[in-house]
Amino acid sequence: MKLLLVSFGLTLISVECFKPTTFAAPRHSRSCCSGCPICCPTTLAAVYGEPRPVQIIPSVLPADFGKLGADCKALEDAGCDRIQFDVMDGNFVPNLTFGPDTIRWCRQYTTLPFETQLMVSEKCTDAMLPQFTEVTKGPNGEPGVVIVHVEACTHLHRALSSIRAAGGSPSVALNPHTPPEMIENVLDLVDHVLVMTVNPGFGGQAYIPTMTDKIRKIRKWIVDRNLDVDIEVDGGIKATKETIGACAEAGANCFIAGSGLFAYDDMAQGVKELTALAKEGQGLPANA
Amino acid sequence: MSSPIHCSKPHCCKCKIGPSMLASDLSDLANEAKCVLAAGCDELHLDVMDGHFVPNITWGSPVIKSLRKNIGEDAFFDCHMMVAKPSQWVKDIGLAGGNRYCFHLEAALSSADSTVPDLCSLIRSCGMQVGVALKPGTSVEAVAPFIALVDMVLVMTVEPGFGGQSFMPNMMPKVVSLRDSYPKLDIQVDGGLSPKTIDVAAKAGANIIVAGSAVFKVKDKAREVIEGLRGSVEKYGNGIGEEGEEEKEKA
Repeated sequence: MKLLLVSFGLTLISVECFKPTTFAAPRHSRSCCSGCPICCPTTLAAVYGEPRPVQIIPSVLPADFGKLGADCKALEDAGCDRIQFDVMDGNFVPNLTFGPDTIRWCRQYTTLPFETQLMVSEKCTDAMLPQFTEVTKGPNGEPGVVIVHVEACTHLHRALSSIRAAGGSPSVALNPHTPPEMIENVLDLVDHVLVMTVNPGFGGQAYIPTMTDKIRKIRKWIVDRNLDVDIEVDGGIKATKETIGACAEAGANCFIAGSGLFAYDDMAQGVKELTALAKEGQGLPANA
Repeated sequence: MSSPIHCSKPHCCKCKIGPSMLASDLSDLANEAKCVLAAGCDELHLDVMDGHFVPNITWGSPVIKSLRKNIGEDAFFDCHMMVAKPSQWVKDIGLAGGNRYCFHLEAALSSADSTVPDLCSLIRSCGMQVGVALKPGTSVEAVAPFIALVDMVLVMTVEPGFGGQSFMPNMMPKVVSLRDSYPKLDIQVDGGLSPKTIDVAAKAGANIIVAGSAVFKVKDKAREVIEGLRGSVEKYGNGIGEEGEEEKEKA
């Protein structure tokens, strides 16, 4: 159904592509192409840039902590791109998981890159950042991804700079309530931005759909400023169009999957399905 | 000049050896635990650190839960809680399979969320034994009001936070004082215990021994180290429990 909006003295806009079902923001789709500046693929490329490589990154939170090393090896064998270690100190989030020594011991089991998400208070971040940066490095000292939370860093610019100086790959995470503007001024310092799509602390939660627009906003800044930055999402990511598909469409390319991957008996199949849906969300064929 | 040896009166508390899993391969915890259990240890000592009470983070209830699932129900999990808010984790640790919840007196007294008696009640209501730990700088007088509420006192023989530190012999007067005042109290020592330092701790009256590096440092020697530690406690502290006494009389 084509609707024409006529505003006196203003341009006619075709709103065929607008299919609002609720009072929320209209849902845009790459499949409609009527020159709408929001949905037209050509214009989308200008907003979202060329799709960045899809990376499937399991979180070890659902793993067996009695044999974490072996589980890391299994994740490598399943074709994952990186492994995420969720460090929680029971203060920033209401859960306490593990620390730097656990990560250090797991290094011997796999050559996959590591990433460490520090869901810890500012006191812990300040005191232990060098240690975590060191243990997250690759087998030959390659930079590992170290994610600090914007909410836990009064001096975020300094913290990100110190990760880089210590040989790590800096990343910044935002809790669901945190507006993206909080990291706008440090986008030039990071290699990744992690948009939390659940409240951090526990696995198995449902994806928060209002995070999709946050991803879109950050992606536009990255493209507009021609920055080389990945957007990572974490929380409730499963092989569904509503989660990984929506995030990919909005501009995310790195996907943390915890229970969403460990639910598979054959995790390699899980990686394939997640990757295929992510690529579909990006508007790419599955084997791209 | 050697340190003075502090000796308590003989006691009949059972010797228990609890290797500290912090000194093991943290990526293969289940197998490491099974090895030391097979080598004859009585408990597994699990150091829970939250980066706030001590400047290190080790593990929390998710790791303990995984370990319990791998090991089975029989092993005794002695959870040493080096955390800022001891009451925060009692239920989680209980559900994860902890058997003894040993909180630090310093944290309990400074934390605003629970009194020591309430904390002890909470621990028992979750089906766990109660332990209370003292950092090197904390006197035994501080724990005296609460002795009747606890099953065990842990006298730290290093500053808590990291493994591999040197044993502090000047903590032994605290052990002697506790042993002489409370003959039936379980007294644990933790930090730098090894075949070289065990005699001093045994003579002072400690009966529950936590040893980390000494047990895990050399592969295939765990049984020998555990037996050596036990032998010292039983020789110098008369640490054979009621079951042992009956067997000793029969022999």
